[in-house]
Amino acid sequence: MRNRATAVRVLIGTWIVLAIAGDIGLGLAPMPPGLASNLASDESTVIRILAMAAWPIFSGVLAGMFFTLIINKFAPSQSEATATELRGNGRLQSIWIVTTVVLVLILATYGTVELAVEEPGGGITTVSAPLPQPASADQPLEVQVIAQQWWFTFRYPSYGGVETANLVLPVGQKIEFNVTSLDVVHSFNFYALGVKADAVPLNDNQVTVTPTEIGTYRIQCTELCGLWHGNMAENTAMVVSQSDFATWIQQQTALDAPIMKYLPPYSHTYEPEPTVYGS
Amino acid sequence: MDAVAPARPPIDSRPTLSRRLNDWGLLVGVIGAIVGFVVGWGIGSVAIAYSFGEDNSLGSDPGILLGYSLSVVGFLAGMGFLNYPIGRLLGRPKASEEDNAYLHGEGGGIARYFRMTTDHKVIGLQYLVMILAFLFIGGLGAMFIRAELLTPSPTVATPQSYLTLVGLHSTLMIFMASAAIIGPFGNYFVPIMIGSRNMAFPRLEALTFWLLPPAGLILLSTVFLGGFSTGWTGYAPLSDQNVAGMDSYLMAFALIGLSIGLSGLNMIATIITKRAPGMPLTRMPIFVWGVFVTSFLGLLAAPALIGAVLMETIDRSFQTTFYVPAGGGSPFLWENLFWFFGHPEVYIFIIPAFGVVMEMLPVFTRKPLWGYRVSIGGMVGVGLLSFTVWQHHLFVSGLAPSLRPFYMFSTELISVPTGIIYLIALGSMWRARTRFSTPMLFIGAFFFNFLIGGFTGVFLSDVPSDFTLHASYFVQAHFHYTIMGAEVFALMAAIVYFLPKMTGFTMDTKLLKFQFWAVFLTFNGTFISLISVGILGMTRRTISYAADLQPLNVSASVFAFGLGASMALFLGILIWEAVIKRTRAVENPWESLGVEWQVPTPVPVFNFDKVPTSWSLPYDYDTGKPATDLGSVSPALSGA
Repeated sequence: MRNRATAVRVLIGTWIVLAIAGDIGLGLAPMPPGLASNLASDESTVIRILAMAAWPIFSGVLAGMFFTLIINKFAPSQSEATATELRGNGRLQSIWIVTTVVLVLILATYGTVELAVEEPGGGITTVSAPLPQPASADQPLEVQVIAQQWWFTFRYPSYGGVETANLVLPVGQKIEFNVTSLDVVHSFNFYALGVKADAVPLNDNQVTVTPTEIGTYRIQCTELCGLWHGNMAENTAMVVSQSDFATWIQQQTALDAPIMKYLPPYSHTYEPEPTVYGS
Repeated sequence: MDAVAPARPPIDSRPTLSRRLNDWGLLVGVIGAIVGFVVGWGIGSVAIAYSFGEDNSLGSDPGILLGYSLSVVGFLAGMGFLNYPIGRLLGRPKASEEDNAYLHGEGGGIARYFRMTTDHKVIGLQYLVMILAFLFIGGLGAMFIRAELLTPSPTVATPQSYLTLVGLHSTLMIFMASAAIIGPFGNYFVPIMIGSRNMAFPRLEALTFWLLPPAGLILLSTVFLGGFSTGWTGYAPLSDQNVAGMDSYLMAFALIGLSIGLSGLNMIATIITKRAPGMPLTRMPIFVWGVFVTSFLGLLAAPALIGAVLMETIDRSFQTTFYVPAGGGSPFLWENLFWFFGHPEVYIFIIPAFGVVMEMLPVFTRKPLWGYRVSIGGMVGVGLLSFTVWQHHLFVSGLAPSLRPFYMFSTELISVPTGIIYLIALGSMWRARTRFSTPMLFIGAFFFNFLIGGFTGVFLSDVPSDFTLHASYFVQAHFHYTIMGAEVFALMAAIVYFLPKMTGFTMDTKLLKFQFWAVFLTFNGTFISLISVGILGMTRRTISYAADLQPLNVSASVFAFGLGASMALFLGILIWEAVIKRTRAVENPWESLGVEWQVPTPVPVFNFDKVPTSWSLPYDYDTGKPATDLGSVSPALSGA
């Protein structure tokens, strides 16, 4: 590799091959968090697109840096370096900055549009009356997630505020999670559905999602919440068919009937338990 | 007065009482700390017992906190920090030249490293030792964490001890990282590089260092008080539930915040007012620029932390409810205040690393720094943007969803000034006859690791992908790539590079090259494994995890043990070569043109006999012209 021009061609060729091969791989590989809900497939699409956009730049910078470091060992330049090669090249710097700004603008626009389309919700809402049972798939089924140290409880306000320890969701039905906490900050993470929402006391954090695949999944807490945070993943979560869900919710309602009068009335947030100071 | 060394009488051989005390400063300080703690703890406990009639008043938060506060005051008073201000209050005359020279450590020998001195070079070395101690203890914590995570359920640790371990590892490493470059090398070399004989506020500089040992010890003392379970982020109201171990975290963090802020103030004042004649801001070495920008971040961000910590302290001690929802407070307040400090904080880590790497790069590529002015723009840009991005830590918190596009945009925008640093590196390496000395290997690894750190950050800045990756091991691996992979690699490069100037000894051996490859490969092995478990949904700070993630965790742990061993090897080589074997370094081993390599080794107590007035950038490797003319060019350069 005595000739620098050849070396540059080899470098660019290698980079193009690397970039295309990598992007084909990233285009075909399964991307987290999978396709079990509309939200999850949106997120995996975003991750795929970001990865495919990042890889050519990443490999290009690395290849370029490796090349510039190595080339002079094997094919040292015969001519003297020019002033712009020594001290800086205004045009090249401007091109670099403008290019990166444009890339960032594209990235941010894409992210903003995704956010607007997806409507993952979130935020403080005013307390409103629970919705009636959904008549159609478009009308969301409200499911309240109550986090406390160190488990989750779920309430279905459309079914009289029935409370359950395990999460069961009907497939193909739009779900509106209302996440809140009774003590410290937790985070409700349904990885397969692409749902992650902090549970903050006296705050109702909303996420809308439509599960699309039947199965049994793991849910866990992802915000450090004290001693047994690592074990706050014991509740099971299932996505079942519409008819199975109807059967299940009937059973739960019947099971819960004797204790319903002891439960607090359904509300978007609950008064937190008074803080027990450690010492 | 700065330009010429003043004539002054030699230091009195019969020291006064205050000097005798000062010579034993560390010991007197420790006694003061113990006395202070007992007095504060006693008063606090008695007051609590009297006010509330509590049985357990000895472990009460006000007692512990008052004990900690007075022990710090006692320590500093014992070290002699109060002598001067109290003397001035009592109307005593300003310190004489002789006093200043004594305090500066003239003729002090090894003892001046164990007392309050105002010599920035002594303080730089003190910082270096302290940083390495934090790194070592924090690293041991990481080893225990990885040992625990070999299995998916608790084995070695209990949940409480595991969380305390996580909190200690992270908080100590944050302490370490916030001063890793700016502490040792900023303090040591900034005054020399700008042609000053001293810092603007030398006593304040000593204070910023001597706040670190109490902070570290107070943090570690949490193990005697039950530990804390919040990690380094200290989220309320979990922090309100914690036992007295939480007070150690709060007190230590407040001290570190104070140190960061005061150090920033001092550096800004020094760089603005103490530059040699003939050195405009546009001719400062790039490392000084890095320190300059970082100092503004520290000065502006640290008060938010101190305020937040103070509010949490009185929440815990006096039952106020700033962060307690039941009392009308909000956990979001802590999250916002903490990250308003926390995000500039990560740039407090990395900008000095940018600076020191760009300072060293031309020395090894034997070319001028390519695009000096744009590189300043890059660092200033990162600094400005760093204050606008903090809510990207809160994308899933439920707070102000309509603001998320803005924080996404501002976060992604930071890749522009960061990208400039890569352009500078590429330009400086272009057509260069690079010397692959050991520091250059670490610099190469810095750019490799930070590139991965930066690109993983893109996924976290984008809201939809952050929904999947937030609070997972992907985040953990991301910030380890930037802090450990970039900053600590820059720290190792800088230690190898600057050690011959700071101590006169070299640690650049064949074994060190092996150490480099070991640390580079094991580091990447560890954190590529952790990126993978994060993508698969493993969440941070959990002692238990899904069983199917065990193989990747074992891989991470095995690599991590290798990483720990190779970091220990670095420390071993450093101690062996510089302390035990004392291998003499040649003068200016890297043939640098910087002024810091032209002053003699060891550097004279006041750096320069006569400060030159004609300065240029120290990167003229095409002409071989040094930064300035000190009268006697070092032998290594005379042939260039």
